[in-house]
Amino acid sequence: MTTPLLELKGVNAFYGSAHVLQGVDLTVLPGERVAVVGRNGVGKTTIVNTLLAIAAMRGGSVHMRGEPLPKLAGHTAAAHGIAVVPQGRMILPNLSIEENLKLGAALRRPGEWTLDRVYSLFPILAERRHTPGTALSGGQQQMLAIGRALMGNPDLMILDEPSEGLAPVIVDEMEKLLRDLAETGVAILLIEQHLRLVLDLAERFYVLSKGRVAETGLMKDVDRESLQARIMH
Amino acid sequence: MIVNALNGLVYGSLLFVLASGLVLVYGLRRVVNFAHGAFYMLGAYIGYSVAVHAGFIPGIIAAAAALIAVGVALDLVVFRKLADRDPLVTVLVTFGVLLILEDFVRTVWGTGNYAIDPPALLSGVVQIAGAPFPIYRLFIVLASALMAGGMVIWLRYSRSGLWVRAASHSPAVAAMCGVRTNVLGPLVVGLGAAFAGVAGIVAAPFLSLNPSMGAEILVLSFVVSVIGGLGSFGGAFISAMILGQVQAFGIVYLPEMAALLPFLLMALVLVARPQGILGKKV
Repeated sequence: MTTPLLELKGVNAFYGSAHVLQGVDLTVLPGERVAVVGRNGVGKTTIVNTLLAIAAMRGGSVHMRGEPLPKLAGHTAAAHGIAVVPQGRMILPNLSIEENLKLGAALRRPGEWTLDRVYSLFPILAERRHTPGTALSGGQQQMLAIGRALMGNPDLMILDEPSEGLAPVIVDEMEKLLRDLAETGVAILLIEQHLRLVLDLAERFYVLSKGRVAETGLMKDVDRESLQARIMH
Repeated sequence: MIVNALNGLVYGSLLFVLASGLVLVYGLRRVVNFAHGAFYMLGAYIGYSVAVHAGFIPGIIAAAAALIAVGVALDLVVFRKLADRDPLVTVLVTFGVLLILEDFVRTVWGTGNYAIDPPALLSGVVQIAGAPFPIYRLFIVLASALMAGGMVIWLRYSRSGLWVRAASHSPAVAAMCGVRTNVLGPLVVGLGAAFAGVAGIVAAPFLSLNPSMGAEILVLSFVVSVIGGLGSFGGAFISAMILGQVQAFGIVYLPEMAALLPFLLMALVLVARPQGILGKKV
């Protein structure tokens, strides 16, 4: 049996006294494309925030490649090969495009992704490398956020609501990019409210409801209507 | 007139070095550090004690080294715990640190004034526009420019400088990318404290040493930071240069109002631009 790349076992996470994740189990295998879906406010982003130590984990455990991560800090996920494309992109306005990308390589993890490779994938970023990242359009900022994540040469890329605010044609391009990326062996954990990207990209899904995993299954076993029904249930 | 302008440049340079430490710490820790004036005072006293026995340059090195240690310790013991606290709490705690360090200086060095001569190489005067001007004051401008320039180069062109700038805007994003933000805190506070300490010993031959020197210059450093825009190095530079000139010319042309002028200037800037010259709107 393949050892999961990422495994959450009975994770309980809190913001202050608010108990958001209540015993969440979740696995992502190497190279797998997994989606977490659910209505607003069910705790989808809290899964990312737990890994980034923004939400406090007080119960359960997180494992990478079978090894438990004893104490989560902000940098732990990156150190273990997890790159995050956060909700709202979070491009730093006080850094240029190139500096935002270089920040992604803070740990200098070895791998094929370099500044030149990211620029060849997203030529617009190379053309405007010295301008502030926030001067880009929404779609271009998403490219920058993905480029910044790639600079960390991750084994797992987590994307939190990546299609938010983007035109359908840009979402299609992003889907192709993520599919290509997954074919190189990078696992994808997609946290999305909008089902189009989820249905086109993911192989497996988790439905989150009130901080718990309500259902999990293979994407080939569901269609849009049945997945929507599971989310609204 | 030219000598007045040069004196303004000297004082402005000192204020900028001091304020840039404040800006650095505020940028990363979001702590308005009232203890910063005590760093300046402590650096002056430690530097003085070493300088009278071993020479001026060892005095500068000792002030920098001692204040790095003080800054790192303060970040680990105090600032880290103040990160998400009410700003009033940070003001009270850092003001308490200022009082503790002032009493420490009174205990060790007493309450009298100390003076130190500039090193022999920098003694004497040069003629500028027909008037004598102390060489040491030109050294202050040069030393301040080197320190400020070094810091700008570090922040702009080094990896750790990039991390500090990233973490100053969003510690969460910097950490998400793998930056150990808990290591940056001691580094930045240590550096900011060292800047203040070196400013203290460099200013010592120009201004005299006494236990209240930290509180006095702290107020003007805050004025510089507020006029420039909290967290903005460029703003602090412009503001320090303007304030230096206001002080230098104020003492000559409006002596009875000279002490008030920095605050009047701050009030005018804040009315016209509440976020300061280069600060960002909140």
